[in-house]
Amino acid sequence: MSDVIQREEFGEVAVLHITTNSVDAISAAAIEAAATSSAMRPITVLDFENVAFINSAGISSLLKFVVMSRKAGHKLFAMNLSPHHQKIFKMVEMSRFMPTIEERDLAAYR
Amino acid sequence: MERVLVNIPSNPLFERVVRASADEVGQAIGLTQERIEDLKLAVSEAVNNAIEHGNQLESSKLVEVVFALDAEKLEVSIRDQGHGSGPVDFSRRIVEEQNLEGGMHRGFGMYLISALVDHCEVSSSQGGTTLTLRLYRKEQNDE
Repeated sequence: MSDVIQREEFGEVAVLHITTNSVDAISAAAIEAAATSSAMRPITVLDFENVAFINSAGISSLLKFVVMSRKAGHKLFAMNLSPHHQKIFKMVEMSRFMPTIEERDLAAYR
Repeated sequence: MERVLVNIPSNPLFERVVRASADEVGQAIGLTQERIEDLKLAVSEAVNNAIEHGNQLESSKLVEVVFALDAEKLEVSIRDQGHGSGPVDFSRRIVEEQNLEGGMHRGFGMYLISALVDHCEVSSSQGGTTLTLRLYRKEQNDE
């Protein structure tokens, strides 16, 4: 669906695998562009497995997914966040809007 | 004291070069991986700030980054060639519900810097702004 996100869908779930390893000012525009209502499902999961770095410009771009999911009444989760990124998300309270989910929790939907 | 100098044009792409340098320096002096991640993020925020707000994205203006190492600490200074800044706000910034729709999604950078390093200070004049970050090589609460 974009250079920086690969989409997987099953049932009520869309998993958006972020493929860039750096969520920053350079990748922000492409990430924001991928945050469309058609990309999302009632349960939308952003997968950070390949992400090694996130800064505030990157967090800002991820907030587009928060806005879109709230508008649609969808639930948004983060998956495979590193401990460091979990810490940063807690510091800026991003985790309030995008709580973490484990891959095993999605098994029931597959 | 040993110094590593990295000068970049004011193009956000080159922030990644400084970040990679921070990673190498952090590893070279034996910081833990978590401290290296803190350093990379703090340096990234400072450099992006210098590029966007200090140098106003004018690529002819440089951002000068100096990593200065001694036995106790790593000090990183990030200097732009702008016209100086007003007071810098390091207060805590979080994602706020009322700002989501309006797109006011920036402004976490200075808070993150101040929270992730042991010490930071700003000096500013008409010739530019320098942000200095300091990380002690041993955790300050170590015996």
